[in-house]
Amino acid sequence: MPLVDPVTMSPPAGNAKTKDLGLPTQAIPTIPTPLAQGVRHVHPILLLSFFLVRFNALVSDPVSTMWTSLPVVVAIQSTYAIVCLPAAGSQTAKPAKKLRPGEKKSASSDGTVPNVAVTTVVALVLTTLATSVLHTFFVLFGAPLLTHLPHTSLCSLYLSLLGLFPLFYTHGVSNKEWLEILGARAPFDEAFGGLMGGCVGAWVGAVPIPLDWDREWQKWPVTILCGVFGGYVLGKLVGGTVAFGRRFG
Amino acid sequence: MPSRSSQPKAALSDYKAIAAQYAKAKRLKELEDAKNNQRSLPTEPAPSGIAEKQRQALEARRKATFEKRFQWTVGFWVWMLCIHVISIFLFTSGFLLTRLVLDERSNCANPPIQPLLSWKGQGSVDGGCWHPKTFDKAVVVLIDALRYDFTVPVEDESKAEGFHNAFPFLYESSVKSPNNAFLLPFIADPPTATLQRLKGLTTGTLPTFVDVGSSFGGTAIDEDNLLLQLRGLGKRIVHLGDDTWTALFPGYFQPNISRAYDSFNVWDLHTVDNGVLEHIFPLMKPEKQGEWDFLIGHLLGVDHAGHRYGPNHAAMTAKLVQMDQFIRNLTETIDDNTLLVVMGDHGMDGKGDHGGESDDEVEAALWMYSKRPLFGRTKPEFVTPPATAKVRPVNQIDLVPTLALLLGLPIPYNNLGRPIEEAFAGKKGNAWGNLAAVARMASAGIRKYQASYFAARGMVQSAKPGSAADLWEIAGAASEGRPVQQAVYHAYTTYQEETLRVCKDLWARFDIPKMILGITAMALGVIVLIVYVSRDEDDDYAVLDNAELDLAEKNLELLDGSSVPEAASYQGLSKIVVKSGLLGGLIGAALGIAYVSFTNSEDWPMAVAAAALVSLVAVTITLSGAGKNLVNVVPNTVWGWLSVVFTLSQSIGFASNSYTIWEDSISLFFLSTFGFTNAVAALRRPTIAERTLGVYHSILFLALGRLASFSKLCREEQMPYCTSTYYASANSSTSASWQLVIPFVVFLILPSIIKAYMMTSRSYEGLAPAWIGYVFRMGLLLSAAYWALDAADNGDWITWLPAQTLKTIQVSVAQLVLALAFVAGTTAFIWAPPCVSILTKAASNARTAQITVLGYGNVNGARYLLLVLNFAGACILLSKPMGSGAMAIMLWQVLSLVEIVDLNALTAETIGPVTLALLGNFHFFKTGHQAAFSSIQWDSAFIPLFTIRYPWSPIVVILNTFAGQILACVAVPLVVIWKTNPKRKGVLESVTRALGVFVAFYATQSLATMAWAGWLRRHLMLFRVFSPRFMVAAAVLLIVDLVGILATLTGVRTNALAISEVFGWAD
Repeated sequence: MPLVDPVTMSPPAGNAKTKDLGLPTQAIPTIPTPLAQGVRHVHPILLLSFFLVRFNALVSDPVSTMWTSLPVVVAIQSTYAIVCLPAAGSQTAKPAKKLRPGEKKSASSDGTVPNVAVTTVVALVLTTLATSVLHTFFVLFGAPLLTHLPHTSLCSLYLSLLGLFPLFYTHGVSNKEWLEILGARAPFDEAFGGLMGGCVGAWVGAVPIPLDWDREWQKWPVTILCGVFGGYVLGKLVGGTVAFGRRFG
Repeated sequence: MPSRSSQPKAALSDYKAIAAQYAKAKRLKELEDAKNNQRSLPTEPAPSGIAEKQRQALEARRKATFEKRFQWTVGFWVWMLCIHVISIFLFTSGFLLTRLVLDERSNCANPPIQPLLSWKGQGSVDGGCWHPKTFDKAVVVLIDALRYDFTVPVEDESKAEGFHNAFPFLYESSVKSPNNAFLLPFIADPPTATLQRLKGLTTGTLPTFVDVGSSFGGTAIDEDNLLLQLRGLGKRIVHLGDDTWTALFPGYFQPNISRAYDSFNVWDLHTVDNGVLEHIFPLMKPEKQGEWDFLIGHLLGVDHAGHRYGPNHAAMTAKLVQMDQFIRNLTETIDDNTLLVVMGDHGMDGKGDHGGESDDEVEAALWMYSKRPLFGRTKPEFVTPPATAKVRPVNQIDLVPTLALLLGLPIPYNNLGRPIEEAFAGKKGNAWGNLAAVARMASAGIRKYQASYFAARGMVQSAKPGSAADLWEIAGAASEGRPVQQAVYHAYTTYQEETLRVCKDLWARFDIPKMILGITAMALGVIVLIVYVSRDEDDDYAVLDNAELDLAEKNLELLDGSSVPEAASYQGLSKIVVKSGLLGGLIGAALGIAYVSFTNSEDWPMAVAAAALVSLVAVTITLSGAGKNLVNVVPNTVWGWLSVVFTLSQSIGFASNSYTIWEDSISLFFLSTFGFTNAVAALRRPTIAERTLGVYHSILFLALGRLASFSKLCREEQMPYCTSTYYASANSSTSASWQLVIPFVVFLILPSIIKAYMMTSRSYEGLAPAWIGYVFRMGLLLSAAYWALDAADNGDWITWLPAQTLKTIQVSVAQLVLALAFVAGTTAFIWAPPCVSILTKAASNARTAQITVLGYGNVNGARYLLLVLNFAGACILLSKPMGSGAMAIMLWQVLSLVEIVDLNALTAETIGPVTLALLGNFHFFKTGHQAAFSSIQWDSAFIPLFTIRYPWSPIVVILNTFAGQILACVAVPLVVIWKTNPKRKGVLESVTRALGVFVAFYATQSLATMAWAGWLRRHLMLFRVFSPRFMVAAAVLLIVDLVGILATLTGVRTNALAISEVFGWAD
């Protein structure tokens, strides 16, 4: 478990627990149970395979494919979050629990653990609300303003679902933590890495659109969605492993 | 009180007042400081009289050093400008060859020389103008990209490629019935693009990329050509196929039976061909024969199959088989008096592309057919068509005199070709008299053309032995008395060959070494620029703003007035660079001149290249000696990388026609990336006020960019994915009436926006309220009025005023706006005091007097902004209603950009100038331009003028075309001096560095487009996409260099002088 990472530019996340208040947010590791670890690794494979399976349908009819695939992606993301990630609030309640193997059992039976169902639902609602903000940014980057509304909305919903949902689930609505996340100075973990990856992926996804290859898959927003999925999975992987605990700048 | 009354200008009263106030206030403050805080002044202050003198001496010294630094900096930029001019000159001299288009036309009744023969109906179109007529009508079938080897059968099937043996009819028919048909290699002159080829095939001359003629904007051919002669003599022309013809010859073709098809969809192999096939055969029926005299069918399938699949592919085979069948069928329908010509306009390379000058690209096929046996060969072995295109080829321009003389037309005036031997040699191949007559006639035409061309260009024709003039004399002598006709024929042919060789030398080839030299010089220039602007740790003068160090330094200088302090390292950089640049340039020039005079080659561009390259190398060495090298160019922050990504990715993208075509959207994407990244970065600021402001300005920057992006003028290639909004409709160049509201909205809100930005630093003081609130606002109102009047004029809304009066009013209004912006504006900028106001509030006891200098924190930026506003005002007027909105948005974006840069502490980064440059490019598109000739708004020349007047008209068109980049260039200093106080050191050096980054962006684009245009010189889109983009980049680079020297740096100097008058010199 690479929790204490001495090779960071900022104080390692592990140190923060001793003097936590007023100090930067910590990276949030996935729950170390075998089940959670298993799901954590299956999750990206599942996500990418599902995307590949639906790819042709996506190219031929983006909107309805994105609609019909939505429940599946919500299910995958929720399961991943519930099984692998600590819900918002559990971190501050027991910041040190993962370091001591002996305490794990008691932590899971702890009465202060937040209600997972409520957290999930709240996170999903926040995810949906955030879609409109992402949609605005898509338009500001050049997405069509008046046409292709369902395309852009659904695309931003997917970005929100992949990139933001795990963060809502683990961080709730903590002002301080979200300031760090939006300022891109939060420590890398699976959730934050996923967001970064998803955003960069969406950015890179715009690159092939202008090319005159006359390919069906160049249509809006297929390439963006490819970027979002690819970037998310890559970011999550990097954020959960090599970059874990590090920060930008 | 400093006695600055040495300058007795009345206009200085403001200065004096402010300076006096400031000096007084400062003295009070210093006194107070000295009493309260002894340690800030380590030595007792000297008696005030001596101190004052010392201070004056110090100020004078600093001023003198500043002027020196300024001169060296300007020197550096002038050197850079020279390098850029030379690089572009070298490249274009190898790439864009120009030819003058003459307006003279050939006349049927007026041959260039008296014909040798005499015949019935001589000098009339019925009998033949300059030579007896052979055919009444002609059908010309142009199979685009029909390479010669496609038509030559290969017997050994195992060696046959996909394109062999599929189109054997041309070859077979010329072998089988040599008197009815002949097949020859048909050599194209580069550039082998269809448009240039059609010009060559109809005018008989060598088209170059830039044919400087009377209608520079349009593509229509305005020089003498076959079709023009046909039409002039009352012949009816029908065209089927590729629509390039209709662009070249608008209004030439019979309206109802001609059919044009879109030519640029290379994925579509069949639409054009099927259209031609469908419509050509009905026209060949006897009852339709009376409707036309000259029929053109232009098929594109072979060309498109090549572009899409390459020549060796089943699709090509199928296409050629189809062509074979088509020509067989067509031959059946030809009557006795009709000539049938089948030809390619160029070949294709191994990948199926064309445009350049490789053998495969220039070797096309020509086949002529007559139902009457007419054609002959001068030697029996010539009956078999040549096995390769290297044997007995004819030039494509030879088609023009051949067709003209066969059809009894005059040869077009600009023709350089000669009649094709087979067509005039007679059935037995011994009609030397006929051959001599046609060769002499064509040569006389060429001679006449040459004489007028050389006269028009002011050149002298060589008369040395072997020269064209000499050969003409020889041919003339050969035809005297009782001539041997064969010798006469050969003498005139030799004359034509020599003339053609001279012209080819002049016009039609890429000069690769020169192109490479240009690219190399430009690349070295970019490297020097990047190294010049790079930072090493000991010249981070932006952080040198240390008050204590400052004071200590100043005291030291005050005490020791005799010794001139050693200049900080950053101050001397320009000087050493310029010195080494000059030295290197002189050495290089000497070498170059030696080379030219030694080899006697007259190759002066080479001498220039030597001067530039040696100079560049010298500067590079000097820079690395000064501790600067490429290592400290590597960015070490996210912002540095962002600059690199913005600059490089776009430059790489110019290799693709798609990214070049969609550059406007891509610029928006990058600008949005900048805004988004800054919104994120702003959230890292420590205080909530900074965070809020940072996010606000970043989002504003994004939103304004997106708003501006609704102003679009689409280029042809963007269709159908783009809707133009710049004008009232896609087919007009006038504004819609709702667009007239835009300038009025600009007038109403822009001054207030500027005021709001100045108020944040309390800088809306001094001249600012009067200038921005009244004069600038007035200018905006006048330009809104101008466009309202313009619309009234166009729409005939005002009928009670004569049109001439209306135009006079308009022009006067426009001139007034420009006078306000440039004449009054410059004067005001030079004499304006700093935008500050000094309040001295006496507290209860005099020792703790409160001095407040309103606007002190933005002294440098606020005053300089006035200069930016002058340019903005002029550009807003000249950019048409939609563009005025775009320019206003740009100004607003510039203001939020400098706020962002200040808030996120990015002053020392390269991203500010790079974003500004990107913004300039973006607004180039948003003011109704594209990187295409057709988007130049020539009519803007008439905004402030009645007629074309030099140099004003070109300046106005440049201000209209490059308004975005010019405004961005003038605004560069704001990125580094916005929100800085008069104690900021190294203002000039910061500005020249920022300008360096800014210019480096454009220089990189220029380099990239240059390199790509050179590399892709065979690309189908070369003349539509890559060359125009290169020309835009080159023009922008030179303009930005010039504006940088004349406006930006000069403006910074003026600003610094004015501010130091009040606050003293910072360094």
